Amino acid sequence: MSVAKGTVVRCCFCDYEFDEEEGVKACGACTLFGGCRKVKCPKCGYEMPEMPKLLKRILSWRRS
Amino acid sequence: MSSQSTLLPGPRPFSPSYEPTLEAAVSALAGTLSEEYRLSRRSVALLLLQGDEEIERQVRETEGDRFPAVAKAVAEALAPMGGSADTAITLQRHAAARSLAEEAITRDGRTGTPLAQRLSRLTTSPITGLPILALVVWFGLYQFVGIFGGGTLVGLLEHTLFGDHINPWMTGLVQHLIPWRWLSDLFVGEYGMWTLGVTYATALIFPIVGTFFLAFSVLEDSGYLPRLAMLVDRLFKAIGLSGKAVIPIVLGFGCDTMATLVTRILETPRERLIATFLLSLAIPCSAQIGVMAALLAGHSVAFGLWAGVMAGIFVVIGYLTSKLLPGETARFAMELPPLRLPSLSNVAVKTLSRMQWYFLEVFPLFLLASVMIWLGQLTGVFGVLVKALGPMVRLMGLPDASAEAFLFGFFRRDYGAAGLYRLQQHGGLNGNQLLISVVALTIFLPCVAQFLMIKKECGGRMAVAMALFIFPFAVVVGTTLNLVLSLLGVRL
Repeated sequence: MSVAKGTVVRCCFCDYEFDEEEGVKACGACTLFGGCRKVKCPKCGYEMPEMPKLLKRILSWRRS
Repeated sequence: MSSQSTLLPGPRPFSPSYEPTLEAAVSALAGTLSEEYRLSRRSVALLLLQGDEEIERQVRETEGDRFPAVAKAVAEALAPMGGSADTAITLQRHAAARSLAEEAITRDGRTGTPLAQRLSRLTTSPITGLPILALVVWFGLYQFVGIFGGGTLVGLLEHTLFGDHINPWMTGLVQHLIPWRWLSDLFVGEYGMWTLGVTYATALIFPIVGTFFLAFSVLEDSGYLPRLAMLVDRLFKAIGLSGKAVIPIVLGFGCDTMATLVTRILETPRERLIATFLLSLAIPCSAQIGVMAALLAGHSVAFGLWAGVMAGIFVVIGYLTSKLLPGETARFAMELPPLRLPSLSNVAVKTLSRMQWYFLEVFPLFLLASVMIWLGQLTGVFGVLVKALGPMVRLMGLPDASAEAFLFGFFRRDYGAAGLYRLQQHGGLNGNQLLISVVALTIFLPCVAQFLMIKKECGGRMAVAMALFIFPFAVVVGTTLNLVLSLLGVRL
């Protein structure tokens, strides 16, 4: 799962803020078909969907 | 320097006072400690009540022969508090910190507790929290997902767009291009890749799952879920779980397979096993819950009974499992993030991300199911299997036609639910049969992927044992429900 570096994710459960890459590493145990495309909070273990690449591009385009 | 010290006094020591029962327990326990520690005896007593292993080791070493008396005092103090004082101490410390902050903070022109804090307290207190949970389920699930998603949106997409326009055109086109009926059925037959696979995935499951994910994202972004964890912590303790198990259980409402993997965050193997079993047995995944809500839309009593029966199964089976697997329940304490108004952009991004994830996962499987059913029909295997399930559905008081839905349900519960939806649309189920079939199918093992995940996490034997319990149990519950409804003369 390729993830843009520096994308900060806020956990929906415990509010912990972490780099998306850190969350993906925590999710390495998953063996589902091609990965589950989710980001796991390294603090509490809650899983959130990874933002689709298209949405990431749109948001970064809006910011710039 | 000395004058400066006089001018700048040190901070006032802050020691929170706890509710009388807890204060009495702390004082009694502190009284049993006879040696000196680096911390005050009160602090040591509090840490002992919270189950701090390091302080327990120190007390054991320091008190020596007197330690059994201290351990007995800890057990006696914890008994009226359900075996753990950790959550109570954390909550009361939070309340003391809030009160201290209120003393120190001045607000311009505003008095009283902020609305978010009052709402936060209401959601975590059992007296108000449980009715709030019922309202969330009723409006979020039944009204929004069931009535709006499953009724209005599916009506527009499946019945009007696909049923009246796209599918007749596509059927005509394919039958024109492929004159052999046996082959055209693969694409546009009763269970064709287009008429079943694409139509179900796009026009039935997608709007239902979309509304479910929208409601779920709103709850997630508002900060309600950690409060739900606090609310159910005590109930979960009764079934051998801690409030932390809310994380896999809540995620199970999205996808049971991944939630099974998330049970790894639970502290003890016992807790992981109980949570995995309950996920397989009593937690419907997003697609299934959506279709179930859509099926029961307009049958509010049946919806209430379904939710009640599933909650009852969750608690009773969880309790019995925890008795079969004795062991200590893990403690749970967490800092509550603030309750906030959901942000529109956050909710939109999460909903779209989940819908994309779900669609990519489910769409190929729906197409594969269509091909398998087509093959099964060509070879006659499908008919044999459906016939074999006849006695099982009749036992539950269901029509023979529902056997098809249950056959689909063995592979994925949401296929089965979609089959029931189709049957209900054609008037094949009365209110009682609708409730019985929905309850029985909810108990089914979620899908083949879930079975493989249990095998990976708990071992092959455990996975087989769970499956061997779950399928007959679903039939037993369905049959019992049918008998009870008949005996009571209930007509839903």
